[in-house]
Amino acid sequence: MKKKLVSMVATAMLLLPLLGHAAPIKIGFINSITGKEAQIGENLTNGAAMAIEELKAKGIQVELIKEDDGGDPKNALAAYEKLVTRDGVIGVVGPYTSGSANVVASRADQYQVPLLVPAAAKEDITMKGYKNVFRLNAPANVYSSVLMSAVAAYKPKTIAYVYAATDFGVSTVKTAQENAAKMGLKEVANEKYQQGQPDYRPSLAKVKAANPDLIFLVSYDADAILLMRQAKEIGLTPKAFLGAGAGYTTAQFAQQTEISNLVVSATQWTDDVNWPGAADFARRYQAKYSKEPSYHAACAYEAMKIMVVTASKSKTPTQLRAGLKAGSWNGILGPVKFADYSGFTNQNNHPMLVQQIINGKYETVYPAQFSKKKLIYPFTR
Amino acid sequence: MFFLQSLLSGILTGGVYALAGIGMSLVFGVMNISNFAHGDLMMLGMYLAYFAFTLLHIDPYLSLLLIIPTAFLFGFIIEKLFIHRIINHPHQNQILLTIGLGLIMSNSALLAFTSDPKILTTTYSSSAFHFFGGISLSVPLLLSFVITCGIIGVLFFFLSKSTTGLALWATSQNREAAQLMGINVAKMSAIAFGLGTALAATAGALIAPTYYIHPMAGHTFLLKAFTICVLGGLGSVIGAGVGGVIIGVVESMASTYLSSDWKDVVVFIIFLAVLLLRPQGLFGKKGEQ
Repeated sequence: MKKKLVSMVATAMLLLPLLGHAAPIKIGFINSITGKEAQIGENLTNGAAMAIEELKAKGIQVELIKEDDGGDPKNALAAYEKLVTRDGVIGVVGPYTSGSANVVASRADQYQVPLLVPAAAKEDITMKGYKNVFRLNAPANVYSSVLMSAVAAYKPKTIAYVYAATDFGVSTVKTAQENAAKMGLKEVANEKYQQGQPDYRPSLAKVKAANPDLIFLVSYDADAILLMRQAKEIGLTPKAFLGAGAGYTTAQFAQQTEISNLVVSATQWTDDVNWPGAADFARRYQAKYSKEPSYHAACAYEAMKIMVVTASKSKTPTQLRAGLKAGSWNGILGPVKFADYSGFTNQNNHPMLVQQIINGKYETVYPAQFSKKKLIYPFTR
Repeated sequence: MFFLQSLLSGILTGGVYALAGIGMSLVFGVMNISNFAHGDLMMLGMYLAYFAFTLLHIDPYLSLLLIIPTAFLFGFIIEKLFIHRIINHPHQNQILLTIGLGLIMSNSALLAFTSDPKILTTTYSSSAFHFFGGISLSVPLLLSFVITCGIIGVLFFFLSKSTTGLALWATSQNREAAQLMGINVAKMSAIAFGLGTALAATAGALIAPTYYIHPMAGHTFLLKAFTICVLGGLGSVIGAGVGGVIIGVVESMASTYLSSDWKDVVVFIIFLAVLLLRPQGLFGKKGEQ
């Protein structure tokens, strides 16, 4: 008798949450929590967590199911399949890396569960015409095009490329070369380097001899600092250093004021942009995690908000897809609309920002309508 | 100008490679062990220099006075605790042990210091001496090179003049004969491993101001140190010194005249050529393995 009572009470307790209120909407979140990309993954985790917290405070019932892909496309795909088949989520946010996002995107139409990619840059992801794949951030080609349009007014004539021999480096430079050709820039040097080497001086000396107006750089974390140190050492002074994301947009790089001053870089988001709530988001993030939010955090925050708000008005993945396709938003990432244009499907035509490091701080300098400061050109030591 | 610039910067970078190679070669010479933890010992040297600079505010080059004895002691203890147990065992056991020790070191560093690369920024980190014709020499690299030359000089003097040095030299020439002559070869092994560790840590500390500090940073240099040792002749201190400078210059020349993408290819073509034409290495004695 006693046993029976206990089991009845236990069953009742298990069922209680279901009786209390309507079942919360289930959303999946695939991210690189471990592995090589874990440092950036943490930013995404924090941004998404802030969004969920705010939405819950507003009374939206949401259950977030988090999956870790460790930066590996195989795990990302397994995570997506688990989320849609076992957990029954109606929408998925993620994955972070281009490799993972690209693989998961290729299966989204098969399972018919919408995928919202917050921060992966590879163009292909939204170029294959997948109906269930949406992307919030600007794709890779915008990195170089926005940087070049920022300096176009100053009429530079020549350009040199210095970049890491990785997928990201090679593909970013390829689109940069196309954009440079459109602007009529002449390529005077092209230096691809192996990462992690202690000495880049010979390559930089060659670039110096070519005397380019612009130097376009693609490097990861610490390589960026090493390259710029050695560039200063050998006295490399172009009219502008253009850093395409990654190593040139970290706080660690900016802090090296001696070498980072006046370096120009492209980013998806800054905290001094005049999009609604951006500054406030940065302040709250800083207070909560005691560090500055990266653009990844802002992208994850906005993606999670858009996904949950739209999902709360839909019952099925099909309704959610229609909601994402039809909706438009205006938040910390500026105006968002998933549109079909120049080969892209469900791609938010996100205006990227150009920032310049001035005395150790990133300042938004382009496009003019989003920025308070003006680009300093030419570069001086 | 290109030629001179890349020659000079190659020689300076090669100096630090040489120091890493000499430590490895010394251990091999005396103990007949290939130390695959050598790169990780270098990494520990980098962190020692970093923390001496950030916590104790000691200049990274001055901190060598602390790092060298600490590293020597660390190496001495490691040898007494682990390495000496496998000294007469087959090579694969020795390789597995040193790889294992290296993995423990790099992963402990990963746990303790995280995977964020650390940057050691001194007031002279990105300064250079400029000469006529647009040639520039990095101040920290030049300092490292001068210190490397000094250390190699002292080491050479120690090996050829002091009693302990001569005993080390004898052990490296013939372990059994040295033992028969009354040399304590077990002690010599521990001293050699301590010296090798101290040299690795010194190389790490010397490169720290011009490189970045990361738990896996040693791996880049392990392969280089190994190449240098084989190129110069395993066990030959002079060979490792010359080998280091050769690798530095070849890398620099390859980046200047081909592409930085190709420099490893050129290094390994030369490496293979040396192995084919002179299997004992440039300064190795004929008949050694």
